[in-house]
Amino acid sequence: MSAELVRVKIDERDVHVPKGTGIVETALAAGIEIPVFCYEPRLGDPVGACRMCLVEVEGMPKLQTGCTLTAQDGMIVKTARTSEKAAAGQNGTLEFILVNHPLDCPVCDKGGECPLQDLTFRYGPGNTRMSYEKLTFEKPIPISPTISLDRERCILCYRCTRFSSDVSEDGQLVAANRGAMSVITTFEDVPYTGAFTGNVTELCPVGALLPTQYRFEGRPWEIVDVPTVCGLCPVGCNINATVRETKVKRILSRNHPEIDEGWICDKGRFAFTHLRAEDRLTQPLQRTRRHGLEEVTWEAAIDEAERLLRAAQGRIVTALSGSETVEQAYALGKLLRAGLGSHQAMLPEEVSGALDGYRLPLSAIRDADAVVVLGDVPVAERAPVVDLWIKSARRKGARILDSADEVGDAERVVLIWSGPGGRGGATVAKLAEKLTLAGREGCGAFYLPTTPNGRGVADAWAACCDDESDEPDSIGLLVVSGDEAAADPNVRALAEQAEATIVLSMFGGLSAGWADLVLPGTSYLERDGTFVNLEGRLQRLRATVTPPCPDELHWIAELAARFDVDVAPYAAAVFAEVSEKVYDGLSFGEVGESAPLRGYPDAAVRVDRPSLPESQAKPGKTEIRLVAYKPLFSGAAVERVTELQFQRPQPEVELSAEDAGWRNIETGDLVTVGSNGNAITLPARVNRRLGKGIARVAIEHANGLGGIVELARAAEEVSA
Amino acid sequence: MTTFFDEVQEIRKRYPAGARSATLPALRLAQEKHGWLSREAIEETADALEVTPAFCYSVASFYDMFHLEPVGRHTIEICTNLPCALCGAQKVVEAFESALGISAGETTADGEVTLRAVECLGGCGYATVVAVDHRYRQNVKAEDAAEIVEGLDA
Ligand code: SF4
Ligand code: SF4
Ligand code: FES
Ligand code: FES
Repeated sequence: MSAELVRVKIDERDVHVPKGTGIVETALAAGIEIPVFCYEPRLGDPVGACRMCLVEVEGMPKLQTGCTLTAQDGMIVKTARTSEKAAAGQNGTLEFILVNHPLDCPVCDKGGECPLQDLTFRYGPGNTRMSYEKLTFEKPIPISPTISLDRERCILCYRCTRFSSDVSEDGQLVAANRGAMSVITTFEDVPYTGAFTGNVTELCPVGALLPTQYRFEGRPWEIVDVPTVCGLCPVGCNINATVRETKVKRILSRNHPEIDEGWICDKGRFAFTHLRAEDRLTQPLQRTRRHGLEEVTWEAAIDEAERLLRAAQGRIVTALSGSETVEQAYALGKLLRAGLGSHQAMLPEEVSGALDGYRLPLSAIRDADAVVVLGDVPVAERAPVVDLWIKSARRKGARILDSADEVGDAERVVLIWSGPGGRGGATVAKLAEKLTLAGREGCGAFYLPTTPNGRGVADAWAACCDDESDEPDSIGLLVVSGDEAAADPNVRALAEQAEATIVLSMFGGLSAGWADLVLPGTSYLERDGTFVNLEGRLQRLRATVTPPCPDELHWIAELAARFDVDVAPYAAAVFAEVSEKVYDGLSFGEVGESAPLRGYPDAAVRVDRPSLPESQAKPGKTEIRLVAYKPLFSGAAVERVTELQFQRPQPEVELSAEDAGWRNIETGDLVTVGSNGNAITLPARVNRRLGKGIARVAIEHANGLGGIVELARAAEEVSA
Repeated sequence: MTTFFDEVQEIRKRYPAGARSATLPALRLAQEKHGWLSREAIEETADALEVTPAFCYSVASFYDMFHLEPVGRHTIEICTNLPCALCGAQKVVEAFESALGISAGETTADGEVTLRAVECLGGCGYATVVAVDHRYRQNVKAEDAAEIVEGLDA
């Protein structure tokens, strides 16, 4: 849209805005607020459902809804500030909205941060003429284990249902019935399930849709919202952690228009209670001869760590999780590499710098003409918010393709690699090169990693020392950093070969059987430091609460001192050192609360995990390629949150309509999937959108299967 | 034999703008098949339209013509919107209630007759309008109720 400016007069103030600007925004440009409930540009076109935004427009006989009008040249608008008619209209609207509203603000969790409360105070009637009984409903209704609905408070603005149908496109939250009897509901008793459901609790302008975890947990005047970044997946959504009395009580989005547009996923929103998991470690554990792992003091643990490090004589291998901060990875690397000459590391996934020339903000996906999504892992399972960007691109008219061959003459082309494989982005970078996307406006490529900070960890590990060493013949000591590494079967296999193992872990259960020394770890919500997300954007994490144990940097520094290695115990100082080598000397303070996408040409990546063989073998006629993917709702944190268990994937195999058809398989039928004598039998789900020759199963139900498999209807059960 | 799924695909062809536009005829077809829109009927319709059951339910619950509860073999539907109300629709409802021994919204114990008060039937000029098994009766008065009930075929 070319920016033809028009002049609008609002409450006697002249403003110039591009033609077509909404009147709500135009008023804002003039410094005037038009109150709204249903209007929310992120939900698509305005619907004019609530009538809160009434204004008087010269030449129009009746009051108009400001949210549905756009600026035209010469328009004269009067808001409630200068128009008695508009003021009376808004007053009347509020009186109607409140006819059935319970006004139970004293016990409502929205109280104090409620748009209905605020606008009623400023624009509404001081008392009610309603002398009849109000509509009452059962309350609260759990529309899922994480969201409570109080129907009495609902003002039917339809924000939540528009989110469900037009943003996350899950179509599960709807309005049923008509008129005054309309209610927000899901179908029958089916819980509202999906990656993004929690966003409706932030959209709801009243206390109708509330996060169950936060019910009666805090009041706006006794909480602090601490800005940080989500550390549970490579998107790195910007969030606020609501803290009350040293505890995280709730996670809110913190709109970063280039990354998340204010939408976060349910893992990021609801998994925070893992901070208080029952098996959370606070004291170190040391293996003793008779009693297994026993609690020891921190001093004793650091002594033991020193002893184990010395005893290994440099034959140390480090298994990283990709969820460490840049600073933790660097500090650990400096101790082990510079201090002890142990350079062997195992990264959880391949990392490649090849994509650095094709960087874009995630929001560029929305503006693309063609989006090519490659790979068989559902995007939402790896990097949920990316899925929302792809959906908004499609709504805006972009073609969503599954092969680069169909790009044609599209101008703005975005490639997205969603695994499996993909060599840390190198494969999709090749493709981008072939399509000559480098430097073309709006063109670029993304690789969706499986870890939140794989890139940052790899860069930091590479930066702390220039030396290299060969793989030791035997492993004297295995250092396992983080819960993801501790849960990885490959790491456990390595632990069996190692003479000793040190594990840094938040949760006791993960390493109980095989660690010799367990040092309690912290969560991303308790750390100060930086993360690099899948765009290559460096972002700032803040310690939103104090961890129940010393943070990693603290004791790494102490341990390092015993080997005469200089590691600062503060993130800012460690970052300064990394930054010299990797981030152009940027200072910690400059990273920013709402970080821009910068380029770091010096970021060198030298840590490569030997790539797993990428099977490109074409399945035979009766064979199928089984993709065993890591679901969004999985991992150590999610496993410890009771109310998220309903979101975990069902034990089932998804297959295409075509593959199901000739095998005579229907949804619900049992199928057997197997190769080399390993077989699983699970119910089938026919997915009409899945490509031929591919089947999908969540990794926790795959029993180690993956790649080319045989798939058939399970033999009929013989009834007894 | 064409299945429900196939029939819905036929209906969808008439609405190139998308599956959502075919929701009303598809739901009507499902209701004809099942007598009312049970959970299964809604799920089956949603599957054939490739939309969510919640969406179908939301549409079905908006329109009076869709039954979300089982209905009797016969239906008597009395319009109670404004024009009909002005012509005595409320009295007509009461007359039917006493003729059948049930309240509006209920079905007789033998499962034969469902009595409903519904929104405008589009025959306002002939108020009060009563749809007896989907056939309109015009200018119905309270005293006609007994005869109409009698006239339902057994
Ligand atoms: S539940 Fe909240 S968001 Fe949804 S319609 Fe009601 S008031 Fe609006
Ligand atoms: S999409 Fe990723 S970064 Fe964003 S909230 Fe979810 S887990 Fe956190
Ligand atoms: S904000 Fe304009 S009608 Fe709701
Ligand atoms: S009001 Fe009864 S038919 Fe229209």
